[in-house]
Amino acid sequence: MRRTLLLLAVITNLLAASSACLAESRPRYGGSMRILLRHKVTSLDPLVESDDPATRDRIAGLMFETLTQIDSEGHARAKLASAWQAEAGNRVWVFTLRQASFHDHSEINSASVAASLRSVSPDWKITANSQQTFTIETPGPEPHLPELLALPRYAIIKRLPDGVILGTGPYTLAEWQTGEHVLLAANDDYWGGRPFPDSIDFRMGLSLREHLLERNLTLDHATEVGLDQLRPLEQAGQTVLLSRPADLLLVCFLDPGAKPRRAVDPRLREALSSAINRATINNVLLQRKGAPAGGLLPQWLTGWEFLFPASQDIERARRLRADAGTAQPLSLAYDSSDPVMKMVAERVAVDAREAGILVQTFGDLHSNSKSGQAALNADAILLRLTLGSLDATAALAELADELALPADTVSAIVKASHPEELVEIERSALADYRLIPVVRLPQALWLNSNVHEWQQLPNGEWRLDQLWVEGSR
Amino acid sequence: MLLRTRLLLLVSLSIAVSVGAVTWLIEARTHESFRQTEEERTNALVSQFRHEFDHEGEEITRGVDAVAASENMLRTVLELANGADPATYVSESAGYATAQRLDFLDLLAPDGTIISSAHWPARFGYKQRWFLDQSAPIPQQPFLQHIETSEGSTLAMLCVRTIQGHGNSYYLVGGRKLDAVLPALSTPSGLRASIYSSPGNGAGEMLGAEKDSKDSFDTAPLMPLVQKVLSQHSDTSSTVTWGGSQPRQEIVHAIALPGYAGQVPAVLLVGNSLEQEVALEHRIRDISLLIASVSVILGIIVSAFVAGRISQPVQDLAAATERIGQGNWDVHVDASASGEIGKLASAFNHMTQELTAQRERLVQSERVAAWRELARRLAHELKNPLFPLQITVENLLRARQIGPQEFDEVFRESTSTLLAEIANLKTIIGRFSDFSKMPAPELQSADLNSIVSGVVQLFQGQFSREPVPVRSELRLENVPPVAADPVLIRRVIENLVLNAIDAMPQGGKLTFRTRATEKSAVFELSDTGAGLTPEECERLFTPYYTTKQHGTGLGLAIAQSVISDHHGAISVSSKKNEGTTFHIELPLWENPASFS
Repeated sequence: MRRTLLLLAVITNLLAASSACLAESRPRYGGSMRILLRHKVTSLDPLVESDDPATRDRIAGLMFETLTQIDSEGHARAKLASAWQAEAGNRVWVFTLRQASFHDHSEINSASVAASLRSVSPDWKITANSQQTFTIETPGPEPHLPELLALPRYAIIKRLPDGVILGTGPYTLAEWQTGEHVLLAANDDYWGGRPFPDSIDFRMGLSLREHLLERNLTLDHATEVGLDQLRPLEQAGQTVLLSRPADLLLVCFLDPGAKPRRAVDPRLREALSSAINRATINNVLLQRKGAPAGGLLPQWLTGWEFLFPASQDIERARRLRADAGTAQPLSLAYDSSDPVMKMVAERVAVDAREAGILVQTFGDLHSNSKSGQAALNADAILLRLTLGSLDATAALAELADELALPADTVSAIVKASHPEELVEIERSALADYRLIPVVRLPQALWLNSNVHEWQQLPNGEWRLDQLWVEGSR
Repeated sequence: MLLRTRLLLLVSLSIAVSVGAVTWLIEARTHESFRQTEEERTNALVSQFRHEFDHEGEEITRGVDAVAASENMLRTVLELANGADPATYVSESAGYATAQRLDFLDLLAPDGTIISSAHWPARFGYKQRWFLDQSAPIPQQPFLQHIETSEGSTLAMLCVRTIQGHGNSYYLVGGRKLDAVLPALSTPSGLRASIYSSPGNGAGEMLGAEKDSKDSFDTAPLMPLVQKVLSQHSDTSSTVTWGGSQPRQEIVHAIALPGYAGQVPAVLLVGNSLEQEVALEHRIRDISLLIASVSVILGIIVSAFVAGRISQPVQDLAAATERIGQGNWDVHVDASASGEIGKLASAFNHMTQELTAQRERLVQSERVAAWRELARRLAHELKNPLFPLQITVENLLRARQIGPQEFDEVFRESTSTLLAEIANLKTIIGRFSDFSKMPAPELQSADLNSIVSGVVQLFQGQFSREPVPVRSELRLENVPPVAADPVLIRRVIENLVLNAIDAMPQGGKLTFRTRATEKSAVFELSDTGAGLTPEECERLFTPYYTTKQHGTGLGLAIAQSVISDHHGAISVSSKKNEGTTFHIELPLWENPASFS
């Protein structure tokens, strides 16, 4: 009798285990995702300045949608706009909207889209042709307008009089604690179908190291990871998603006119560029996870970055330094919340010292925002710029916007129809060595083994359309 | 200066010098004691520092040894020696440094290239220059060395260990910042310590106390001291005066801290404030000043009392002596004081008594002598007329024996002679009577020059008598009015003129001079006669003394009496065969009451 009972128990367990294995192999609705973000987000509005717009856009991308989106090949695909067509030499574009509704269940239409886009680009002439079609007339030809419209800043947002902003995305805002916590709930009426998880819980300002110390890593489903933390995770056999080396670290000399700053001798800037050993930074500090950067856009995206020199020439740096004569030490600021930035900034200072250039580094928490940069008392800043798009034009336009390049440069970017034009634009932007690309590094994400279908584009952008969590129901 | 004043000054000076000497002695002893204490405190602090220094060095050595001996490190070195990519080990040192609480930990390749740096990972691939530049063998003991960091140069205590990997030497350089040693020191009150870090290139800096805190050193005034230590590699000390509103002094000991290959990368500065000593010295000085002041005041009071006891009899003696000088011989001082002063007073009293007795005896003898002289003069004066009277009377007795006619003639002549001699006797008696009846002068404002001129005019006829005329010369200056009786003064001058004429039987020159002094007028009469001997001059004013054949010896005595009654003085000076000069000094007419 006892043997029979034991046999029955074993069979029951085997059946339960096999059914569980079958169940984990297909998507399931329900469950709550918990994602740890390293940076704090103070606003979800894409038009509000942020210390870390990339993190903001990751959350906002789940609530607010753009008319188009860029796929992993860099091509524009339909999103809220189901179709589009260019007329009159790429200056007039006609878009057709799909059937979708904002989170307050109001239908999206041409008028709401026009209102949203006008707040971003006032110089566009937007005409509603019908409920579902509208025309965008740009001042000049913009052959890559659909790709540009995939940028987060062109997200379609309904702005209510009380300041509430609504999107059409798969998730709606359920809870919001500035800089601490965001809870997004699944949008049951989403035009693309309800997402699998019931909610996504974003915890901001936390690091994997802290959770490892607290021994509650298993409670999380995804965590942003710094490159300095990759090695132990990999050694431990953890799942880590790495993007292509997309984020650009570059030294940006701040505009002397924005604040009473001294102008740095161009020869000194060039000397600094020649002194930086980008290969060592990549090989040692980034453990070969990144790539030396010579241009603004990555080689793997454009294929032309090799045209911009990225190798160290210490002798040339010393000559230029000597030509520049007496110079005060340069001050270089960096984002103190990112250990990699600190290491790279210090290495830049070490390399510069070899060329006779004294560089003093210091960390600052708000160095990524424009207002933070304006308030900085530094000659230069080490910036981490995400690759905003897998389309070169849109990506360059996004970089130009973030770097506050002159309006004619931005205009030339959006008008460019050939890669050669973008090369020249990039070359001219780098010519005076106010922008010194240093290195590219990938975005890294630790994933719990119970998370499935987490998709990441080469530039680190998240695609969570098919995301589901194991063992949710 | 009075004896009392001298005594007071002497006592005060003695007290001040004594207190000053004692103060100096106390200050010197205090100074010596403080310096001794200061030396002991400094030695104790330096000893404590060395202990902490050694302790820190032992901990660093232990930590670096532990890292060098760890399996992971040995494996890392072996992998590197086998050609592993050094980039893989860029973060290797950080964990070891944290575990061993090391501020610095560098893993160096055999050629000095930094493989991994805990404090400055960004320096990967560069060579550790100070390590390569040293020609000296690698020390096994901890040493001081300036380390480059991202913030600049920092003074550190380092320890180097060599790890062998397939015949190649890899180096592990670990250490801590030296400024961690100073907070471990428990500096007693008044002491402060800091380390001056002197990198090979670049400006030095002071480690230890927070800048601008009370325990921090101001670098500039200490630079000569520090430079001396750095150049001579030996300890030294100096007293430094810090500026500010209240300057303060401090003894600063500079102790060389040895580094790698005999270098001195830092100097330990131990400051010992002299505030307490200076305050105590000031206090001693103030108290000494107070004691000196009180002592001097007390000394003055006591010495005034004592000096009074001592000097009063002396002053009494001086006053008594002065009174004796003024002619008052009836003086007696208090001889009750004890000791030498009492003996002096007794001797003085005895002396005055003896002098008084001798003077009385002298007066008595002079009186007898005067009487004898008077008797002799009287006898002489009376004998002269008496002899003719005796002869005349004897002639008359003899004439009775001759004829009546002849007798009458003799009688007539004899009576005439008798009458003449009797008249002569009357004259003599009248003169003596006049001397005894000298009238008191009636003082009034008198013009001395006019009196002299009147006398000269009176005697003008006698001066021009033949055959031996006397020349007179007047040298009269402006003389203020004198307090005198003109009649008596005129008689005195007339007497002097007569004497002078008698003194020049062969004729000569008489010179009349008048002049004024501060309080008197002087009349001088000079003749060119035979002059007088000093003995004659001395006795000239004695009554009844005369050098003339027919003088009574009363003229000059009367003159002296008159002048004396005028509160004046008369004197004579003479040189034999050159002449004689009489000097008369009369008081000026200023305050008649003073003559009364």
